[in-house]
Amino acid sequence: MSIPRRQFLKTAGFGIAAMAAGPAHAWESKAPDDPLGCLVDVTRCIGCRKCELACNQVNKLPEPETPFEDMRVLDAKRRPTAGAYTVVNRYYPGALDERGQLSPTFVKIQCMHCQDPACVSACVTGALSKKENGTVHYDASRCIGCRYCMVACPFEIPAYDFHDPLTPQVRKCTFCLERLEDGKMPGCASICPTEAITFGRRSVLMRLARERIEGDPARYENHVYGEHEAGGTSWLYIAGQPLAKLGFPAVPDEPLPRRSETIQHALFSYLWSPAALFATLALTMKTLSGSKKDKE
Amino acid sequence: MKTPTRIIPAMIAAAMILAMSVFLPDPATTAPETAKPLGPVEKIRTSLNPRPEGWAAPDHTAALERARAPREYVAKVRLEDPKLRQIRFKNLGLGVGDIKYSYMVLDSPLVNTFENLYGPARFMHSKHAASLGGDCALCHHASPEGADAGTDRLSETVACRSCHQESFNPDHPERIGLKAAYHQQCMGCHETMNRGPVDCVGCHAKRVPDHKELVKLPADPSPIEVTKECLRCHQQAGEDMIKSAHWLWKGPSPFTVEREKKVMSGKATDTMNNFCISLPSNWPRCTSCHAGYGWKDETFDFRDMTRVDCLVCHDTTDSYHKAPPAAGMPAPEVDLKFVAENVGKTNRNTCGNCHFQGGGGDAVKHADMCAVLRYPERNCDVHMGGYDFTCTDCHKAVNHKIRGRSTSLPVAEGSRTCEDCHTNRPHYGNGVLDFHLNKHTDAVACNTCHSPVYSKCKATKTWWDWSEAGDKARKPVKDKFGMEDYNWMKGGFEWKESKKPVYTWYNGYMERLLLGDPIRPDADAFWPGENPSAEAKRRMVATNITAPVGSIKDPSSKIFPFKLMDGIQPADAVNNYLLAPHLYPTSPDDATAYWKNLDWQKAFVDGMKAAGLPYSGEYKWVRTNMYWGIKHEVMPKDMALSCVQCHESLTGEKTCDRCHQDRRDMDFKKLTRTGTDFTKMLAQGRDVAELVNATDYIDFKALGYEGDPILKGGRFKKLPLGRVEP
Ligand code: SF4
Ligand code: SF4
Ligand code: SF4
Repeated sequence: MSIPRRQFLKTAGFGIAAMAAGPAHAWESKAPDDPLGCLVDVTRCIGCRKCELACNQVNKLPEPETPFEDMRVLDAKRRPTAGAYTVVNRYYPGALDERGQLSPTFVKIQCMHCQDPACVSACVTGALSKKENGTVHYDASRCIGCRYCMVACPFEIPAYDFHDPLTPQVRKCTFCLERLEDGKMPGCASICPTEAITFGRRSVLMRLARERIEGDPARYENHVYGEHEAGGTSWLYIAGQPLAKLGFPAVPDEPLPRRSETIQHALFSYLWSPAALFATLALTMKTLSGSKKDKE
Repeated sequence: MKTPTRIIPAMIAAAMILAMSVFLPDPATTAPETAKPLGPVEKIRTSLNPRPEGWAAPDHTAALERARAPREYVAKVRLEDPKLRQIRFKNLGLGVGDIKYSYMVLDSPLVNTFENLYGPARFMHSKHAASLGGDCALCHHASPEGADAGTDRLSETVACRSCHQESFNPDHPERIGLKAAYHQQCMGCHETMNRGPVDCVGCHAKRVPDHKELVKLPADPSPIEVTKECLRCHQQAGEDMIKSAHWLWKGPSPFTVEREKKVMSGKATDTMNNFCISLPSNWPRCTSCHAGYGWKDETFDFRDMTRVDCLVCHDTTDSYHKAPPAAGMPAPEVDLKFVAENVGKTNRNTCGNCHFQGGGGDAVKHADMCAVLRYPERNCDVHMGGYDFTCTDCHKAVNHKIRGRSTSLPVAEGSRTCEDCHTNRPHYGNGVLDFHLNKHTDAVACNTCHSPVYSKCKATKTWWDWSEAGDKARKPVKDKFGMEDYNWMKGGFEWKESKKPVYTWYNGYMERLLLGDPIRPDADAFWPGENPSAEAKRRMVATNITAPVGSIKDPSSKIFPFKLMDGIQPADAVNNYLLAPHLYPTSPDDATAYWKNLDWQKAFVDGMKAAGLPYSGEYKWVRTNMYWGIKHEVMPKDMALSCVQCHESLTGEKTCDRCHQDRRDMDFKKLTRTGTDFTKMLAQGRDVAELVNATDYIDFKALGYEGDPILKGGRFKKLPLGRVEP
């Protein structure tokens, strides 16, 4: 585990969790130690949408309505959908080029493959799981279509495939799991003409990100998005502008499952076990109804 | 050196088959679109112009091989401050002259990391180096550890792929892979300098996906069914196409003086020539080169996209061809389904099937394009033969509008010049000769030196005398090139091969005589029945149908080479404009077409009716000229004109001291004679005997100079160079 992560645990380890839970019931991160990830360097992205194309091919997604070469789709902001696990958006955060024209910034978005994913925590059937290699994996056979994951994800990533009501599917970036298992790179990282996407171990990517920022502070905002956000993510971003200006949500640094799971744990551990709870309820009801009867 | 123009026998055969198939239609052919024969026709899927065995474009092939050869990985590099590195390299004298390979293809298994969506970029190494002032350090930004250009000149300027190989190498995580290195370097620089392409197709040709699964057609579809199937996905292409010059045969004429604002000029409306004269009333024959189906008369619906002929340009099988007199309909033996399933980018064959055949046969019209260019030798055309260029590598298309301007036709959808790629200082070598040659580029067009003879691969028609037509008894005689001097339908001809062009000042604009424009008031003429001698005809004052605009005093004009097309054609004796005859019989009972009835009067009446102009009833024969720019068939540099070929003043010089005080230790004689040697071409059987040892090649006086500018001064710098003879 890298130093920044340890620091994070030290500094961010307070809050509801610390207050609510004693040591014996502390929430525990299940984050893999040094997962695979990608560093998206927004300053390198030229908005070519080749990553979208590769993603489409790798995941055998349906043919898009407009071809990937058609740059007019960048005129509107898009979110990943069941048919497109990654999308590139164009922003004009305000920087001017040498000719005084607003210069565009392109941002590719997809699942961040959180270290402690809220979606996994929210999933009641275990259809979503965080793998040791970093991927947040979806197992369609276990999914009951409750869509809790969609609500839970702070990045609004999972999309629901409405087209097939019989086999509902939640869809999101797979991190090209099969390719990774074959020792290949993810499709998008592999096709990107400018290496706007660097693939590797998260610790290495964090080092690269820091080096790039320190090596050219005029080019980069001093922030590695995903280092701490949502407790850390396998995909990381560096950019020339604050990521908030590029459509990224302000996500708390705390791992989201910590809050929710802690509350659950607290409920389950300190008050009653569900059985006890129901027994008490039943007894109360009985007593109440009994006294009612008595009055009659 | 191999012979510059040796035509491989198979190519002759192929060219002849093609020429025969399109040349001289039988006057009694059936009407268009009814040509479909009864019963099934055997479909042909084989290439009509197969690639000759062993044909390869040597420069391109060699570059590809170099690009794919693996390199040893340089793990450790020495970084350096870019500015200091620049100066250090300059002090070492590293520069353009050190470049080993001036042409490279940026192809490698290392760059095709996901899928091969685009073809490799062609990279003009020397050109880039020269435009960057020979600053190698700008791109070669780091050195392998231990290398030292001081002891081994090129050891520090290693190939990109020495250091940049696989992406995401865990041992060198920050070392980007070759693909990203190319893109970051090229695009970054193009962006900063605001020069050069930054889009994908600016450098790469997009590969067309396999259409076998995509195309859904019944067996033996009709041409229009094919187009409908294309439009199913490529609706926009159809919409673009029907606004294009290849479809409309008319459009804006931005480079025609006094007609710049005209938007309807073109073959379809008002242009003429001194070959088959003009289109109206002869549609079905002429429109067999139209990128559409069924333009057989003036009622053709140009809004109907389903009549676009997609296949004629996008056939990759080379089996598609049109039936010549069938108004653009494909020949019945073409397997349309097969062709449609094999569509792709245009190539030299698709463009050439029409453009090599201008004037009704191979090489007839254009002096710089013929069927040899399908698979040319390097010496014939260095771009196509050496570097395997297709037409659209230069004539890039956007929205189905194709860049380039023509001297013979007014419609232009953008332009293309040599300088677009080669810059206006195209002699990159940084040597003494390069320096002096680069001083010429403001006054001399590239092809003046680099294409010193036209039609060097195949004879072209240079004289066409319509007044002699109609004599079925006259037997055609073959000239030394094997070309016939007569055809009873068309008249008398003359052909030239390896011919010296005429040179004139040209600024890219043309003067143009359109249908209805008066001929020269002082033009000579002779009457029907009169038969002046060949010499008398050639002395007649001629009207220019097209002529270049330019002047020695105009800084934007350059000396430019042209083929001069000369001939005799009919004019209205009262209205004094050129006549548009009805030549081609559109049906078996066509009673006015000249090629069926041999009656000029009837042909003029119907032809002029179709052209929408009155015919007085009286005609005369006049002489006309057309200037056809020589733009293709650029020869390799060792076949360009040498200095002494134009500058007679240099023939006796032995040193540089005419112009410079320093006598300079160099082989001056060799320097001034670097370039073409017509003796060699002569020995190879070309018709250049009269050019051997010629000097004042471009004729300075005719161009408006007092004489050799070295002796008499240039067009703007009036001081002559060097000493005055005692
Ligand atoms: S980004 Fe959303 S979907 Fe992806 S792992 Fe994180 S919580 Fe789950
Ligand atoms: S990692 Fe794979 S699934 Fe995810 S965005 Fe990239 S290509 Fe698509
Ligand atoms: S492929 Fe790379 S450069 Fe192109 S849009 Fe995607 S991230 Fe950006």
